[in-house]
Amino acid sequence: MVLQRFKYMLFILKIKMRLNILIGGKAGQGINAVSQITAKTLIKQGYFVFNYRDYPSIIRGGHNFNVLSISDKKISSHESRMDGIIALDENTKKIHKAELKKEGFIIDYNEFKHLGINLNVALSGALVKILGLDKNAFFNEVKKSIGKSALKAAQQGYDKHEQIYKLKKLNNKLDYMNGSQAVAQGAINSRIDLYFAYPMTPATGVLHELAAKQSKLSFKVHQPESEIAVANMALGASFTGAKTMVGTSGGGFDLMGEALSFQGMSELPLVVYLASRAGPGTGVPTYSMQSDLDIALRSGHGEFPRVVIAPGDPKEAVEKANECFYLANKFDSLAVLLSDKHIAESEFSITRKINKILPVRSCRRYKASSYEHDKYGITTEDPKLAVKNADARVKRYDAMKKECKKFEMIKIHGKKNSKNLIIGWGSTKGAILDAIEDLDYKFLQVLYMKPLSDDIKKEMLKAKKIILIENNVTGQLGRLIREKTGIKISNRILKYNSRPFTSDELRERLR
Amino acid sequence: MSNKMKCADFRTDAEITWCPGCPNHMILESCRRALVSLKKQGIKNFAMTTGIGCHGKIFDYLDIAGVYGLHGRAIPTAVGMKLGDPKLNVIAFAGDGDTYSEGMEHFIHACKNNPDMTLIVHDNRVFSLTTGQATPTSQKGYRTKAEPSGALKPINPIHIALASGATFVARCNARDIDHTQNVIEEAIKHEGFSFVEILQDCLIFNTEVNTRDDKMYKIKAMGYKKALDTAQEFTYDGEKIPIGIFYKEKREVLK
Repeated sequence: MVLQRFKYMLFILKIKMRLNILIGGKAGQGINAVSQITAKTLIKQGYFVFNYRDYPSIIRGGHNFNVLSISDKKISSHESRMDGIIALDENTKKIHKAELKKEGFIIDYNEFKHLGINLNVALSGALVKILGLDKNAFFNEVKKSIGKSALKAAQQGYDKHEQIYKLKKLNNKLDYMNGSQAVAQGAINSRIDLYFAYPMTPATGVLHELAAKQSKLSFKVHQPESEIAVANMALGASFTGAKTMVGTSGGGFDLMGEALSFQGMSELPLVVYLASRAGPGTGVPTYSMQSDLDIALRSGHGEFPRVVIAPGDPKEAVEKANECFYLANKFDSLAVLLSDKHIAESEFSITRKINKILPVRSCRRYKASSYEHDKYGITTEDPKLAVKNADARVKRYDAMKKECKKFEMIKIHGKKNSKNLIIGWGSTKGAILDAIEDLDYKFLQVLYMKPLSDDIKKEMLKAKKIILIENNVTGQLGRLIREKTGIKISNRILKYNSRPFTSDELRERLR
Repeated sequence: MSNKMKCADFRTDAEITWCPGCPNHMILESCRRALVSLKKQGIKNFAMTTGIGCHGKIFDYLDIAGVYGLHGRAIPTAVGMKLGDPKLNVIAFAGDGDTYSEGMEHFIHACKNNPDMTLIVHDNRVFSLTTGQATPTSQKGYRTKAEPSGALKPINPIHIALASGATFVARCNARDIDHTQNVIEEAIKHEGFSFVEILQDCLIFNTEVNTRDDKMYKIKAMGYKKALDTAQEFTYDGEKIPIGIFYKEKREVLK
């Protein structure tokens, strides 16, 4: 009781409440159900959540865990120290005990061993009780996502533990979304006609999401024999005027390389969703890294226009997917939407807001070709025409570059007048934002990787100290900025153990 | 691209750059006549795609909409066109190296998934545009600059198509323009994946397999088991060469 009152007082005094709950077990035990039900209850009660998913490439067994981070203010990252652990097996306690804070709680599967398949519901019930969340909201969520049959287990879990926290209802109107759902939403907003993909983690989420919605919203999803087929089918479809997107991860993107180049010559609009994971080769396939910026920028032989846009969270993914469709179809170009496993599969609470949707034009062709061709589409090897066409491709890129200026190519976060500048992109956004909250930093988030905004150099010239933060080995954005501005950033925080940054580890390094 | 081609009956005014006497001229003529005939029967909305190789030049010589695709990828491009606009009658032209080397995964899956399209393979049993290397249908022992000790045993695409579930399988002789025209018309009318392999000589490379007309004999569509046996009569190493429609079947198409 003393402990309980102590924590309750802390919440009242503290400006921002933040809890991290680790839910661990074997693959197939249903750890995602625990975080889903609890997170949805929290969202309905107006709390901000972020759910990190960590799992190896195993279907059954092994060790999976989620970190559910909870706050009364906006958050978009998880931390490395836990306030509570929910263990669905012995291994979880063994592996993660060191991460548990001194006063942290453990909900043990042994308490509910007799429950079998409903173990995860009981564990959520216990967690909801500990957090002091509204019981009815939780029961409604269980009914909705699992069914009435699970209510008994929910009650048993709820009764088993004492309340420690008191998370009262807040007035925030929030939704719960992962990056894959966001990309799918962006495509739907753009009135996609066809989505082609071959299964590959972590891009598969979009394939599943769109496949589930295709018949209701009258677009088509097709899973062909390979990523090579994916990209070539997409160009064939694009030829008919269909608004087309493909999705893959690094290895599949490599297979598409020749077709991307074919796009450059045929000028058939194409949007490619590239969700990167830790490479090279098969790499660490279910984990995250930002190591595919280079291929997104340069894949495909020959010289031809493209845009590469990297959203930093689901909300941006919805908007930027739409911008990809808009730009690809307006400029008959290639648009790469660059994301990674950390955005694609992490779940974010996002504020409800209706996005402005850009209309996407559609155009049917007569003759399109992978050969250099004349204005009728007939093959040519005439050197004068080769020059004329190459110049036209450059001109098309210039026009597209101009158009890009209408959109948010970079974003400035943090202390706007700070002389300490952090530069980053993509999925590091969440951890950086949460890390620098009350530190003296300005954070420049790059969203358009190609074309690169001229404002980046201006911001760099204003700063005294510049720090590059990336989730890769060589600082790929740093090299790109150096190529564009001539400025080398030697102060770099690079993480490449195939795990994303947590906000507390980043904060320690920035302090 | 706009359409400048005012030449009648699916001709264009592009300069034809195939070798003089090349059977590709005859395949072009068979296709053109098939299209004219189909148009008279009220069938329209033709679209084409091609791979890369000598066959691909047909893209410039036929006045129908389409995509001049990548080597080996005529089939997926065609499937995409059909999914993008189901009203199109899509014809994919491809070569033997194109389809059976680099594009084999697409060939087998098209047979399996049965998209409503026609595949016409110009099979001259050699990579000509790259100066004479062996393709999967080149005869055993064919010596080339790339394989001086000779090619290994060829594959049998008709057999592969049947085994993979193709719903229309035919072989033609490029020199037999009327017969080829008829088979192409049938293939385009067939609802599902139609595979037409056209045997053609190359006058420059691998000429030792040329002029086999005396070994060819006409067949009519037959049952599946008989078609499999008949396909074995010609294993791309000599013997008798059956020409015509091997097999036809109605099955659910890819949509």
